[in-house]
Amino acid sequence: MAKDKLFGLIDINWRFDLTRFKIIRLLFKSRWFPLTIIIINLFLFVIILLAGLLGGFSPGNFNFAIMMVWILWWVLLMFVLVPVFSRVWCMMCPFPIFGDWFQRRRLLQVRKGKPGGLNKKWPKKLRNMWIMNIGFLITTFFSGFFTVRPLSTFILLGSIILLAFLLGIIFEKRSFCLYVCPVSGFQGLYSQFATSEIRVKDPAICKKHRPKTCYVGNEKGHGCPWLLTPFSFKKNTYCGMCLECFKTCPYDNMAFNIRPPGVDLLVKEKRGLDEAWKSFIMLGIAIVFFMTMQGPWSFLKDMVRISTWQGWLTFVSAHSLISLVLMPGIFFLFSYLSRLASRNKEIPVRDVFINFSYTLIPIGLGVWIAFSFGIILPNWSYILHILSDPFGWGWNLIGTAGFKWTPVWTHLMGYFQGATLIIFYLFSVVYGYRISKQTYPKTREAIRGWIPILCFLTLITLVFLWLYLG
Amino acid sequence: MKKIEIFLTIVVILITVGTVLGVYSFEKYRRSQLYDVELTARAPENGNWYPEKITVSYGETIKIYIRNIDTVSHGFALPDFEVAVNEIKAGTIEIIEFTADKKGTFPFMCTIWCSDRHLEMNGEIIVE
Repeated sequence: MAKDKLFGLIDINWRFDLTRFKIIRLLFKSRWFPLTIIIINLFLFVIILLAGLLGGFSPGNFNFAIMMVWILWWVLLMFVLVPVFSRVWCMMCPFPIFGDWFQRRRLLQVRKGKPGGLNKKWPKKLRNMWIMNIGFLITTFFSGFFTVRPLSTFILLGSIILLAFLLGIIFEKRSFCLYVCPVSGFQGLYSQFATSEIRVKDPAICKKHRPKTCYVGNEKGHGCPWLLTPFSFKKNTYCGMCLECFKTCPYDNMAFNIRPPGVDLLVKEKRGLDEAWKSFIMLGIAIVFFMTMQGPWSFLKDMVRISTWQGWLTFVSAHSLISLVLMPGIFFLFSYLSRLASRNKEIPVRDVFINFSYTLIPIGLGVWIAFSFGIILPNWSYILHILSDPFGWGWNLIGTAGFKWTPVWTHLMGYFQGATLIIFYLFSVVYGYRISKQTYPKTREAIRGWIPILCFLTLITLVFLWLYLG
Repeated sequence: MKKIEIFLTIVVILITVGTVLGVYSFEKYRRSQLYDVELTARAPENGNWYPEKITVSYGETIKIYIRNIDTVSHGFALPDFEVAVNEIKAGTIEIIEFTADKKGTFPFMCTIWCSDRHLEMNGEIIVE
């Protein structure tokens, strides 16, 4: 059988397991990893919270909390962490450490017996992305403050950490990360595009293995904190890369693979409306963020900053309408046209809508990477300032406090953004056609049904090209 | 609980509570070496100079640490002692120094048009 090659170049089934290197295998099996990174990150977040609290309403560009979270972390997340390493941020995230500690009664070692806390099951109806979808959308209503006022960043991060701890006391394992954390949803969505994955090496070994230690845990590690079954991993969306399955597997049967980008988009399992809406919301937020933060329309900036309540309410309504209704509504129309064009009336429009919504993942990630160029290129030099003077107290720890504001390559930004959008659009196109073949049983139907979706993808890319370059 | 867990518990306490206390103590010590008075600058509608009245002793050399915690630039002038800072950018700090060699009440003010109420951004230094 001929190999399925992406752009005719890369075999979709190609994998390279990094755990074949002994040093990586040992690292992943050690209980000190990723705990050490989490503890270092905890230190960083203590500084961030302190800088946010002390910074109050002072300007964000000289504040450690604002610069580290909204410039450095966000850009790293969009440029490297998610597209390359999937949900590696979740691996090192310090937010759930106190909840974990409370449940496990240990920081490092594995304790036998009943876990701490109430250990309740998360409600069945809420086992999806909807809370994260709405939570993240609501957070963006206050983007005019979170991204510029240190105190509001402190309140946001402080609330997330507190909520992670409280839910850790009430619900089992990482229910907070899985169903509530606003950062988790979009990472999960876009991690499907990532060039790495955690998977089983040989499914036959897992099939025979009893009990499933990756799920129930053993003396070497905890059962999957993300309530997943690592022995049957098929996509990255909900795997927080905590590496416990590497520790609990007695056969070293877990792999950390490098792979071609986006192969999870072809996994049919667990596709749903919640993930589809996450795509629309992320695209809607990207449009709104660009217009309010990087666009030339000053009246929009006033609305976001709550210059008047009427203006802010208009912004919130328009933002919600674009993200929750307009984007999905237009896409539904194109999905309907797709089914019409395919001439296959047996496939429900709902399936067409859900399946093709996964074509928005590459372009959505591309849009956010392009947006991030507009964050980092003009603002990177502030990072040097805040590293030397994290609390705005006139410190000069590494001698860079006096470094002047120095934007770089801003004259080339349009080219970077345009090239990014086109590259990721092409990924959407190549995966879109494959998804069409999954959706419609016959090739002719798939080709015909693909055309309206291709039109939508082209249209949305042109809209973003116009926004960023126009 | 084994020693390693006790060690890690101490590490986490040091990283959280210890960092906060360490930062505060260091800054308190640093400031005591740097200046005598701290003055924060904000436009009148956001809080104005704080404190608006500063009392110092006659004959002493005074260092004032001015923090602009506002979102706009401010200036500082103490004309009677010929001390001025042209611009203190938002989020930055300036330290000024003068000798309180005359007694009385002396005005200081912002010298940059920072808001519609800029002219209200005044304070006083009392030399006793």
